[in-house]
Amino acid sequence: MKTRPSAILEAGVIAVSGPVLVFSAYLLFAGHNQPGGGFAGGLVAGVAVLLVWAAGGTDTVRKVLPVRSTVLMGVGLLVAAGTGFAALLPGLAFLESGYAELSIPLVGDVKIVSALFFDIGVYLVVIGMVLALVRALGEDATAEEVPQ
Amino acid sequence: MALVVLIHLAVAGILVLFRRPLGRWAFVVGALGPASTLLWAALNGSRVLSGDPATESFTWVASLDLTIAFRVDAYSLLFLLVVAGIGLPIFLYSQSYFSPSSRATNFAATMTLFAGSMVGLVAADHLLALFVFWELTTITSYLLIGYYDQKAEARSAALHAALVTGGGGLAMLGGIVLLAGEAGTYLISEITANPPVGSNVLTVAWALILLGAVTKSAQFPFHAWLPGAMAAPTPASAFLHSATMVKAGIFLVGRLGFAGVAAADWWQPAVFTIGFITMVLGGWRALRQYDLKLLLAFGTVSQLGFMFLLLGSGIPALAFGGLAILVGHALFKATLFLSVGAIDHETGTRDLRRLSGLRRSMPRLFWVTTAAALSMTAMPLTLGFAAKEAAFDGLLAESVWLIAAAATASTLTVAYTARFMFGAFGPAVPGTEPATGKRLASRSALLWAPALLAVMSVGIGLLPTLVLPIVNGAAKVVSGVAKAGKLVIWPGFVPALAWSLASLTAGLLLAWRRQLVDRTTEAVGRVAERLPSADTAYRRSIPALLRFADRSSGLLQNGSLPAYIAIILMVAVTAPTVAAIGESPVLVTPPGGSMLEWILGALIVGFAVALPFVRRRFAVVILLGGVGYGIAALYSVFGGPDLTLTQLLVETLAVALFAFVLRHLPATFSRPATARLPRLAVALAVGAFVFFAGLVVNGARSSETISDTLVADSVPEAAGSNVVNVILVDFRAFDTLGEITVLVAAALGAAGLVIPVIRDARSRT
Repeated sequence: MKTRPSAILEAGVIAVSGPVLVFSAYLLFAGHNQPGGGFAGGLVAGVAVLLVWAAGGTDTVRKVLPVRSTVLMGVGLLVAAGTGFAALLPGLAFLESGYAELSIPLVGDVKIVSALFFDIGVYLVVIGMVLALVRALGEDATAEEVPQ
Repeated sequence: MALVVLIHLAVAGILVLFRRPLGRWAFVVGALGPASTLLWAALNGSRVLSGDPATESFTWVASLDLTIAFRVDAYSLLFLLVVAGIGLPIFLYSQSYFSPSSRATNFAATMTLFAGSMVGLVAADHLLALFVFWELTTITSYLLIGYYDQKAEARSAALHAALVTGGGGLAMLGGIVLLAGEAGTYLISEITANPPVGSNVLTVAWALILLGAVTKSAQFPFHAWLPGAMAAPTPASAFLHSATMVKAGIFLVGRLGFAGVAAADWWQPAVFTIGFITMVLGGWRALRQYDLKLLLAFGTVSQLGFMFLLLGSGIPALAFGGLAILVGHALFKATLFLSVGAIDHETGTRDLRRLSGLRRSMPRLFWVTTAAALSMTAMPLTLGFAAKEAAFDGLLAESVWLIAAAATASTLTVAYTARFMFGAFGPAVPGTEPATGKRLASRSALLWAPALLAVMSVGIGLLPTLVLPIVNGAAKVVSGVAKAGKLVIWPGFVPALAWSLASLTAGLLLAWRRQLVDRTTEAVGRVAERLPSADTAYRRSIPALLRFADRSSGLLQNGSLPAYIAIILMVAVTAPTVAAIGESPVLVTPPGGSMLEWILGALIVGFAVALPFVRRRFAVVILLGGVGYGIAALYSVFGGPDLTLTQLLVETLAVALFAFVLRHLPATFSRPATARLPRLAVALAVGAFVFFAGLVVNGARSSETISDTLVADSVPEAAGSNVVNVILVDFRAFDTLGEITVLVAAALGAAGLVIPVIRDARSRT
């Protein structure tokens, strides 16, 4: 019953999903000053996951992203909450933000905002969520493998 | 003071962690808790009594003005001494009572934790801290009553006690919050120094607080849990359910009674009525018991009623008498419980019909018990007598009715004490299998712990000046009146003595003709059993409550998704609409939109209107997506790139995920199970509501918009120029953290719901 999607689609999707992921990372990092952010970035990455699924089903998704969705979400929550607790160390309030200006060779002057790490947590949680839903809902009822 | 509480906590923790090495001496280790309290009292006692309270305060949540404040004045000191002074001998007694086992060690740890909570309760100055300790005593009491957890009776008794006292505690919490709102402070010392008056809220507040005290101290009509609590091992009954925990309610009304009287004119009559009914009812019920522990428990109910009446009255002389009685009661009642425990331990029964010849077989225990019993009946030369004289003296000055009521209860006390003594130490009732005990070794704590307490009962009776400064100081602290009360061996021939002698004589008469009394109580009891009682009220209310919960959740959680959505939507529509009634809202006419906005709006409306007429599921998903994309386009027109981006992505993902689900569903909708009309009504109501709300809220702004400050602060405060993102990850990052947590929970929940369904489907193919 299961039919294999066309090889052209699969190749095309894999070719496209790379730039999509780069775009999602761009949204994540640019978000503090430009449109974007962790939530939007995570959703874009989620779209990439969907594309991969459309091309090759859950098996291909598992091959491309060999991470459990629960791990992604858990790490994301930890990073977000950890950013909050890290602020306690220099005596700030929970989740209070700070920033540092660094000059990195070849890149130039960069302003690193501690809220970025919080946003990375959000990003991971959103990807994890999409992955969890894709794996649960996208599983073919007639496939032989039991979803993990 | 915090240190003493922490020592209790630490000792309890150590006992649980090092169960094996400490198991043999678990209760001796636990005794370190009360010992530390006594040490603290010895070091600070004289300073506290001289009118200089020991205070400590720790900031807990500074922004909420939450502190853990302790303040030990003479009143707290008296309770501390009762808790630790009774607790220490009981711990040592328990060492002989229990054979070492890991469960007994847990029991010791729980009892230590209880002792610590009790210390915290009487020393706390912050009402919320008091509440926390209050509920800790409820929880530890629950664990201690349910120690024999293989017995259904013990489990249900533990639950009964926890539900009644816990429920009362919650009511009290409500009262505390209201009271603190009126007083402007949570500190007991400030509230009692300057009680708030003249507000209707106070009536509710004080009623709720009184409810907490009434349930905790087993007052009518909530007294039934206390006799049930006798399912606990006897040391716990002696400690919690006669000497300390049940006094917490008394402690509270004593502490706050004067403020209660100042604020509510019904307070005093209410306290008098409750106390009176409780003391007479308890005494009467005690006369009908065959189990020695139950007899004592009803006696405790009766005495608690007396103390409640005295200390809650808000009258200085009565408060003094009440405190004296409290000390006396703690000493003699703990002794009696420990004696019963020893009898039970040695003979295996507490049935007074079966016990026989213990006067000869356990002579020393007999004398110990007798000394305590004499104090309970308030015979001269005991502390019970001195205390009762002080109380009667105060009552007589107030009203003849009050002293007549107290004298009636005293008569009953004498009668049930006689029943207790003859039952325990007299011959067995013919026709029962007699139980006799054996002589207790004098080094056994089963003997010397109650003996120590009995000696104190008599010793303080002979030398009342030993406790007079503390009782006086405590009465002075709560009443604010410096007049010293009297606590004497022999008061001389004063009017109050006539009442005492009359009640004593009447009681002795009842004791002398106790067969007649038995027959009478039996006959009356048979009738009374058919009347509603507090116990049956509790027994019936629990199944009724469960039935109600069952029906209401059956109605609201019926498993129909359309019904859930309808309920949620209708609440969302109704609540603000009701709130808006009588507000005469202003409808703001929106500015006429541009051509592009009209076109987009028409598209969105077109998609939405088409939705209900489409039968194919896939078409419905596409139409919903169209609505979403249309709204994204509107955002873009209004200049919200972030919103546009997010809306587009969410719509895309949602359509794709819908598509996943659709693979498993029929291609078209079946006919709806419910009629279309109610659905249409809900939809129209929501649509109309959102439309008008949109017009109204724009004209209803009552305070400055925060958008401007957020935009202005974005770069300087958060170093980001995208204010939407700055709000999400910085200004309102706590909200976002909550939201992503919900997201994770929802994702896990959805996956958890779907995966078993797929597995199930697969196992069928």
